[in-house]
Amino acid sequence: MKTRPINMLIVFLMTVALTLSAGTVRAEKPILIGCPLSTAFLYGWDAERGVTLAVEEINAAGGVDVGGGQKRLFKVETIDTRDLEPGVPVSEALLAVEKLILDKKVDFIVGGPVRSEAALAAMPLLSKYKKVSILTTGVLTPKYHAMVAKQYDKFKYCFRIHGEAKNLVGEIFANFNELKEKYGLNNLFIIAQDVSHARGAANIIKDIATKKGWNVTGLEIYPTGATDFSIGLLKAKETKTDIINIWMDMPESAILLKQWYDMQIPALPFGSTLAAAEQPGFWKATDGKGEYTLCNVVNAGNAPSTATPWTMKFYDAYTDRWGVEPEGLGTSSSYMAVYVLKDAIERAGSLDSDKVVSALEKTDMMGVYGRIRFDPKSHQVIPSTDPKEGAVGSILQWQDGKRIVVYPKSIATGEILLPPWMKK
Amino acid sequence: MDILIYGTINSVALALYALGFALVYGISRLPNFAHGALYILSGFITWSALNTLGFNYFVSILLSLLVTGIIGAVIYQFFLIRVRGMEISEIIASYAIALAILEGLRWGGFKGMTYTLPVFISGSTTIAGISVDYQRLLAVAIGAVLVVCLWLFTRFTRIGLALRGMAQDERAALMLGIDSDVMAVVAMGLGSSLAAFAAMLLLPLGNIVVESGYNVLILAIAVCVVGGIGSWPGAVLAAFIIGFAQILTVVYIGSHYQMVVALLAIILTLILKPSGLFGQQKELEERV
Repeated sequence: MKTRPINMLIVFLMTVALTLSAGTVRAEKPILIGCPLSTAFLYGWDAERGVTLAVEEINAAGGVDVGGGQKRLFKVETIDTRDLEPGVPVSEALLAVEKLILDKKVDFIVGGPVRSEAALAAMPLLSKYKKVSILTTGVLTPKYHAMVAKQYDKFKYCFRIHGEAKNLVGEIFANFNELKEKYGLNNLFIIAQDVSHARGAANIIKDIATKKGWNVTGLEIYPTGATDFSIGLLKAKETKTDIINIWMDMPESAILLKQWYDMQIPALPFGSTLAAAEQPGFWKATDGKGEYTLCNVVNAGNAPSTATPWTMKFYDAYTDRWGVEPEGLGTSSSYMAVYVLKDAIERAGSLDSDKVVSALEKTDMMGVYGRIRFDPKSHQVIPSTDPKEGAVGSILQWQDGKRIVVYPKSIATGEILLPPWMKK
Repeated sequence: MDILIYGTINSVALALYALGFALVYGISRLPNFAHGALYILSGFITWSALNTLGFNYFVSILLSLLVTGIIGAVIYQFFLIRVRGMEISEIIASYAIALAILEGLRWGGFKGMTYTLPVFISGSTTIAGISVDYQRLLAVAIGAVLVVCLWLFTRFTRIGLALRGMAQDERAALMLGIDSDVMAVVAMGLGSSLAAFAAMLLLPLGNIVVESGYNVLILAIAVCVVGGIGSWPGAVLAAFIIGFAQILTVVYIGSHYQMVVALLAIILTLILKPSGLFGQQKELEERV
């Protein structure tokens, strides 16, 4: 059979047309998401994994509609800021952020810097380059969104999608009050790491606790990298402390909990920020000595619960992708930030920073940890104890090798237990 | 009483950190800035042998001591020997090796807080009303035995005497047929094994974290500077001075000043007595 030239031409043209239409998404330049993260630490690598998972899911579903039917894929560019490491100056994190903006030419910043000091210092940079940034991990200082509210025009590009220290303080006192009513606990000892957010939050807790009638038996601040907490724990024991409130994101906080168990300190360890206890590997790492430890993983989805229909869907997807359950602060919020960004870009129909800022301010979606909305003045995610109303937190307790969510009650799967050596 | 008990524990921990560093400098005049990195590396070697290769804990520890010692010897034989006698170059080269080890570990995925070693004996006891866990008591006891063993080794064995000869006068030792390069390799291997030994005793108390390699180095340097660089008795005495000063600071001033103590000790020593407590050779140089 002889093939006519006209048929061949038609086949060729159809092939070209098909190739071009199929390649519409791929031919476009990807939207670059820059992630400045302290990748050697929990709050860094879990955020990177959260972002990556969301990007993979969005890209698999076709990408982001940037307007006019134009679909573009996301691409992640991560840089190690090292800002959680002891002794690393803030300037290192700033250099990393600037490198992402100027050298890697990212379109948006998602993630960090992770340390409060570094994130605050990065705000003028973001303003200078008009780069929209969504903080998703680590940074708890209330000063961040206060600065946005105070100088809106300058810092309007800065958003934070996870809870902050004031929320955490409120959540903690809800639990303290319950423990007071249920077990008669009244003596509070505070142990904090010598970093901005922890020092600040510890002092806030001290002031509020005193006003609320708690007997604050001590406040110990340990340098980053400290490996011996025995004297602080002995002080807690001598002062008949009932609750040890801990604010630490350094890996060495696991040592504190081991010492607490070995010394059988009759007080409940209640971590507000306690990176070591957030991770699923904590049980094995402490040989179960960390049982009864409480910690705040800041947002739902970082521990198993059914806050929203998306929570366990995310939880399982993360576990399948990375071979480990969502690990702590920054996991669900980093994942969610990419979806929120996608939603904002699609509504804005553009990558223009000012248009995306306006769209982000109008965000209203049901996410992994509840309803996600930003305060239009401060750009802080609106918190709530009801996932239908706002972003909910999660406080968990280690019980028999499992992370059991005990707060808020709307999503709790268990109740707080006291260690046998302090049963009242 | 709590100051006495935990001051002693803290002091022994500092002495264990510093002994290997002091030994290497005392014999070969080499400031081994890879000391902290070798300490952490040995922890990960033990962890890997125990959890990945499935070896017995005791075998894993022996393997770690041996491998870390060999790595130390190799570092000297292939890298540091080339810059021997050039102090600044020695510091730069050994610190570069430390960075390579620590960043290599991090790059290899050894990050986070879930790497731990089991304690030798679980549980705790009460001494004069103060709770202390058995692992810490064991660290103190073994630390004391180690110091005695080192003293015996350097006085009653051929290698130990050769090392002392080197430490006292390298040229005289050479004239007596002691190969200074071989002894320096032995010293580096032994010093690295001592770092690993300290790690085996102290790491089960917490977790193996790459970043703590830098802290170990700083503490070892502080102890050696105060004690007189290269002097083992000086290192032990300085460890007790700094160890108790740290605990007293935590009790009476504030826990967040405890790291300042070590750094302040270095500064004060360099101002008041640069040779340190027992730095006799340096002291002679200062007099001249």
